[in-house]
Amino acid sequence: MLEKLKVFRASPLAALLVAGALLAAGCDSREPAAGTPAQSAAAGPRRGGTVVTGWTAELGGVNDLILPATQLNREVFYRIFLHLVEEQPDFQDHPPTFKPLLAKSYDWSPDHKALTFHLRDDVVWSDGVPVTAEDVRWTWQAQVHPDVIWEGADSKRWIRDVEAVDPHTVRFHFDRVYAKQLLDANEGTVLPKHAWEKLPFAQWRENGDWFRQHLVVDGPFTIASWEPQQQVVLGRNERYFDKNVPYLDRVVMRQIPDQAAGLTQLLNGELDFLAQIAPRDVPRVKASPRLDLVSYWANLYVAAVWNNDHPLFKDPEVRRALTLAIDRKTIVETLLGEYGRVADSPIANSVWAHDDTLRPWPYDLAAARRILAAKGWRDSNGDGVLDKDGRPFAFELASNAGNQARIDATVMIQDQLKKVGIRVTPRVVDFNALADQITAGKFDAVVFGYTLDTSLDLTGNFHSESIGPDGNNSARYRNPEADRLILKAASQPELIGMKVYLDQIQQILHRDQPVTFLWESQRLTAVNKRVKNAKPTPTYAFFNLREWWVEPGH
Amino acid sequence: MTTFLLRRLGASLLLLLLVLTFLFFFLRLLPGNPINADEAQRLTAEQRQKLQRLYGLDRPLPDQYVTWISSLARGDWGTSLSQQRPVSAALWDVLPATVILASAALGVEIATALLLGVLAARRRGSALDHAIRITTLLFYSQPLFWLGLMAILLFSYVWPVLPASHMRSVDAELMSPLGRFLDLLRHLVLPATVMGLGTAGATARFIRGSLIEVMGQDYIRTARAKGLSERRVVWVHGLRNALVPFTQVFAISLPLLLSGSLIVEVVFSWPGLGRLAFQAILTRDYPLILGATTLSAAVVILGSFLADVLQVLVDPRVRDA
Repeated sequence: MLEKLKVFRASPLAALLVAGALLAAGCDSREPAAGTPAQSAAAGPRRGGTVVTGWTAELGGVNDLILPATQLNREVFYRIFLHLVEEQPDFQDHPPTFKPLLAKSYDWSPDHKALTFHLRDDVVWSDGVPVTAEDVRWTWQAQVHPDVIWEGADSKRWIRDVEAVDPHTVRFHFDRVYAKQLLDANEGTVLPKHAWEKLPFAQWRENGDWFRQHLVVDGPFTIASWEPQQQVVLGRNERYFDKNVPYLDRVVMRQIPDQAAGLTQLLNGELDFLAQIAPRDVPRVKASPRLDLVSYWANLYVAAVWNNDHPLFKDPEVRRALTLAIDRKTIVETLLGEYGRVADSPIANSVWAHDDTLRPWPYDLAAARRILAAKGWRDSNGDGVLDKDGRPFAFELASNAGNQARIDATVMIQDQLKKVGIRVTPRVVDFNALADQITAGKFDAVVFGYTLDTSLDLTGNFHSESIGPDGNNSARYRNPEADRLILKAASQPELIGMKVYLDQIQQILHRDQPVTFLWESQRLTAVNKRVKNAKPTPTYAFFNLREWWVEPGH
Repeated sequence: MTTFLLRRLGASLLLLLLVLTFLFFFLRLLPGNPINADEAQRLTAEQRQKLQRLYGLDRPLPDQYVTWISSLARGDWGTSLSQQRPVSAALWDVLPATVILASAALGVEIATALLLGVLAARRRGSALDHAIRITTLLFYSQPLFWLGLMAILLFSYVWPVLPASHMRSVDAELMSPLGRFLDLLRHLVLPATVMGLGTAGATARFIRGSLIEVMGQDYIRTARAKGLSERRVVWVHGLRNALVPFTQVFAISLPLLLSGSLIVEVVFSWPGLGRLAFQAILTRDYPLILGATTLSAAVVILGSFLADVLQVLVDPRVRDA
């Protein structure tokens, strides 16, 4: 041992050399040489280069149908596999429009029960096999197969059959006419029949690796490498039908422990793109000469969800009193600053179908106290907490661990409701356990976030049939009139026809306050200035990834 | 000797079975469900039931236990619910990263502890001894996650010379084999140092105490009387005997290193067993959690068994007893 120690002690130079080599290894250029500085931004898009993005989650696999539709999974699936048509991010101005993708066009039958897609004839899988109508039909068969248990299968409920008319024509037959037929037909990407049909559906859920080993793609990117818990690298699919894109050689999706670590790496230049940063981090991003901040209204609302089955929250007037007693403006200004606003409906203010006659209930403690007193709530024992029939107005307000804004909101609500004599106990529960409690209705109240997709179908969030494990009606809200209007809206032949019913539903929800709508917020994305043309949308951070490019010389 | 080893092996296997049984049932007390993946979950009640049936979660718990333990005995670790592939494959993917990190951390721990322990013993009662005592206590008393965060702050942000996370650089695949090796070492520096220093304090104190005791023995006096240099007396005669009980410390270090790896791997995004277990707990991936904990428990129990065997081999007093 002594001799070994001597060697190290006698060789400070060797130690320095090792340290130097270690440091030098970190100075390797991340950007493989591609293009020259002369090809500047002024020269327009250029091919080549790498963009490094950070994600807190890990990619689950490559088969859309056996994995949860997490943000990251969808970002990758939709870059390596094609949809029939591409839904455009214009749903805030009007019902979404669609651009041709795998299908060059589509048309409806006169009765609106058959939808025919005409496929491009120049699209091939990455192994050279053409993409045909058989792939579309087989994908539908997989999507609805009971052994696959695809979580989006419900979107295919009204599709009776998918017919491969010829190699480049495929027809969807519907059982009924309704507003989101096109969205439902287009739900999920088309998968490679010839490569994946060898594995029986019954074995899919136990063989996630198999799909990775048999991966062929038809999207602009493919998976170039995959290091579990480290990074996934997307590389260009050289057989993508549009030879002009993608511009980038590689997109590295680096796993980061949390947003704070991601921000540090972004500021250090280790990352080029972070899909979501917290409002409190905006000054640091703005102060960085190498970063741009992109902000846009997200399709998400956060609400204090009252368990409408709970004796405290059964009465709509009491729920309205709670809303009046919560100073939502202060909560939003404190937590989100200029990047949030008070919500008044499940349909965000920025979305075309929002009822613009709605105004958020004011912060009015006196009105709240009046309603509560009228309902028999008084502080009879002088302990500062309202009570009725010997029962105090006290409840737990839960939020999910890891979401600091929601946790902070529960504490602020606790403080605010104390002013009207309501005792709130904030509680932080990990997401998995909280989801179980909400599904089972075993909770008092919870601060939670909801995304409403572009179909604006409120069935899942507010129809009484969506209470429990079959839906997302966390508040356990029951209103026959709202149920009727929700179904009426969903049964319109076009999305635009839903507006009149959606307005009425929003008015009812505003009156009944099954939840107190707290805020809607902007998503804040940080992008390195060297990355050009990155246009994240409320739905996908990577929406136009194929058109991103990097400027050399940075 | 053989009887002792067999008896010890039997006790180890029994202990492993008890640990696994406890883990299995304790895990099910956790609220939550492997089917709650995230907020975007859109499964219907019927699909949830199908998944429960597919994963065997609808059967009585004792049935599930018997199936799991008998499959494990046959070498079948089950299928990960979140990764939808064999648990053994998922563990195999991450094991090398944990072995590399734990080995490097053990190296840091032993080297630091030896150096500081011997120095403190040789300068017993001096200012250096006190300084070493305070420093080692300071490191030992800090939570590993805090040490990790401070290391990242200092060496990756304030003075950005070392990477804050991951095992490889973004472009490692484009490097030469030597470049990749150096890149790995560079990423290893912070997590291994944090883990090693976190446990080195206690080990250094142990070595110091053991060496002081040994240095008072007759044979050390004899060695000095023979005219051997003080350095040789300490490092060869003193330390060799002081390290006999070290085998036990090594056995104690193993679980500490494994539990430390969970925290350090999460803080440094190190793709190892600890991080895998952490993710599995969040998603309630029961087979994967059980796989990871089974592996950890087996390593700890095996380490303890080997420590006993080693002690029997190196210490005649124990062997004779």
